[in-house]
Amino acid sequence: MIRTEAASLVYLDHGREVFACRDVSLEIRAGEFVGILGPSGSGKSSLLYLLSGLKTPTAGTVRYEGKDLSELTDDARSRLRLSEFGFVFQHPYLLGYLTALENVLVAAPYDGRARAAMELLEGLDLGEKIHRLPHELSAGERQRVCVARALLGEPRIVFADEPTAALDHQAGEQVVELLNAHRGEGSLVMVTHDPTMLADAGRVLRIAEGRVHE
Amino acid sequence: MPASTKPAERPAHLKPLAPTTYLWRNFGKSAPLTSVIVLAVLLVAGIVSLMDSIPLSIRTIYSYSRHMLGVSPRGDPAMLPKLRAEIEEGSPVPLDRVVVCRASGAIVNSIVGKWPFVVLGLSAEDMRFYLDRLGTSNLVGRLPEPGKPEAVISAPVAKNLKLRVGDALLSPNERERYSPFEVKVVGIALTSEWAMLGDIEYQKSNHFPPIDYLLVFAKSRRDQEALDRWAEAKFKGERAQLFAYHLLEKDTNEMFDTLYKILNLVIGVLVLVITVMMGMLMNIYQSQRLVEFGLLQAIGYTRAQLLGRMLRETALVIAGGWALGVASAYGLLLAARAAYMEPNAYALDPLDRVAYLYTVPIPVAVLAAATLTVVLRFRRFDPVAVVERRIV
Repeated sequence: MIRTEAASLVYLDHGREVFACRDVSLEIRAGEFVGILGPSGSGKSSLLYLLSGLKTPTAGTVRYEGKDLSELTDDARSRLRLSEFGFVFQHPYLLGYLTALENVLVAAPYDGRARAAMELLEGLDLGEKIHRLPHELSAGERQRVCVARALLGEPRIVFADEPTAALDHQAGEQVVELLNAHRGEGSLVMVTHDPTMLADAGRVLRIAEGRVHE
Repeated sequence: MPASTKPAERPAHLKPLAPTTYLWRNFGKSAPLTSVIVLAVLLVAGIVSLMDSIPLSIRTIYSYSRHMLGVSPRGDPAMLPKLRAEIEEGSPVPLDRVVVCRASGAIVNSIVGKWPFVVLGLSAEDMRFYLDRLGTSNLVGRLPEPGKPEAVISAPVAKNLKLRVGDALLSPNERERYSPFEVKVVGIALTSEWAMLGDIEYQKSNHFPPIDYLLVFAKSRRDQEALDRWAEAKFKGERAQLFAYHLLEKDTNEMFDTLYKILNLVIGVLVLVITVMMGMLMNIYQSQRLVEFGLLQAIGYTRAQLLGRMLRETALVIAGGWALGVASAYGLLLAARAAYMEPNAYALDPLDRVAYLYTVPIPVAVLAAATLTVVLRFRRFDPVAVVERRIV
């Protein structure tokens, strides 16, 4: 599904090359839950950006279903993210002027997904709060709305970048459980520094100084 | 399921990213942008309308000249019979009447001060004809008696000078409305045209210079301009001075030509200032929404989609601001006309097309500036910087 071959991501920091990811070769298969575990600054978020097409590698390749993401235009990569991928970020980013339901619907710009969005929110125990604005929700509830948004398009892969970092342990575990339970047949790639959050992962990749170890 | 835990009613279709959703729910943020445009449009439309009210006043106050051709001899009063004969023989259109009158000066008030006006001294019969020509036979009061210091004025003059029947139109004590005797208003003609009419015998006995004028009326009112233009060509370089509406128009246009050039410059500078200001406001407006743009781009919205959404929002703000500005300007001008202009018989057109056309560059320039700002903003926008919280 996603395969990287010697993918590297280099940042220039005051003229000095910094490797966020170095020669990463891995494969994410359909339906699997892959954890990426590493300390802060190890390059795990950068790897997630490479896998999801938010960044393109400075060397090597990242292919999704055989297509080299670097060869796609910026707009084509955006369309791919909207149609095939779901995202949960470290901070529960929601649009403050939209209700929980509307924030979920942002992930489906076409009509006709309101019922699915409501069912998702109900499934995530937010059925009573679908018309609340983000500031009327707790941090855990906001992150659950983000989970619903990520899942609305029935993505083939959900990328979760430290989705538990802004939550207490219990709320964090709940978010991971919900992500895992509601992803259907889609894959889940989750980055974290907390190994306890990867208890259900089928595979855990460790990353240190940009290098990935199975 | 208890009622309190029942999910809220399900909306069939929701478009959370519709431009109107953001604008309505963030009224406090979009209102300042709209207000700037409203004020700018209000300012421009107001200034231009008031400026336009000056030539409009000229055309309104001296509109009586549309109904006749005035002819006076230059340098030699004895030329008048010759001029009359030439007109009667050479006129390209049938004439209704050629009236001899004796004129004196008075003033009327305008928005920019006092303007000269003419008191036409006519015989009673010619006065009736003249009033009929102005479109009225309705008279409150009566016509002046021969040789008496009496006058008929039209309703706009009465309103402008705050005169009623029995008040003095001309007086020995009035520097600008002088006559050796108090000339009392004995009648008010109910017409929208401006007119001051006195008795010809009184005018001849008491007013200088001792020159008679001709008022030449075409048979058909539609032919009056043709007669005026013929006379202009006929008497060019001759010892005759003409008073005709098309000459008034020409002089007015020439007089205001320079003024309008200056106005164009002022409006141009104003539009530039507003555009720069709006550009800066748009920049702040967009900066407040970087997280939103970053999030949407990260989850898969293309730059073109975000740009289009932003431009639709901007266009709505600008169009709304312009429409509100036009409506506000119209309301304000109506109020100004009712409160100040109308009671003084000053001309002001709240639906002045030129004034509203002058406001069109505002939304166009602001939209151009906003588009440039948005395009520059999105050109190098990196959503990862937002989701990593590096730029918020």
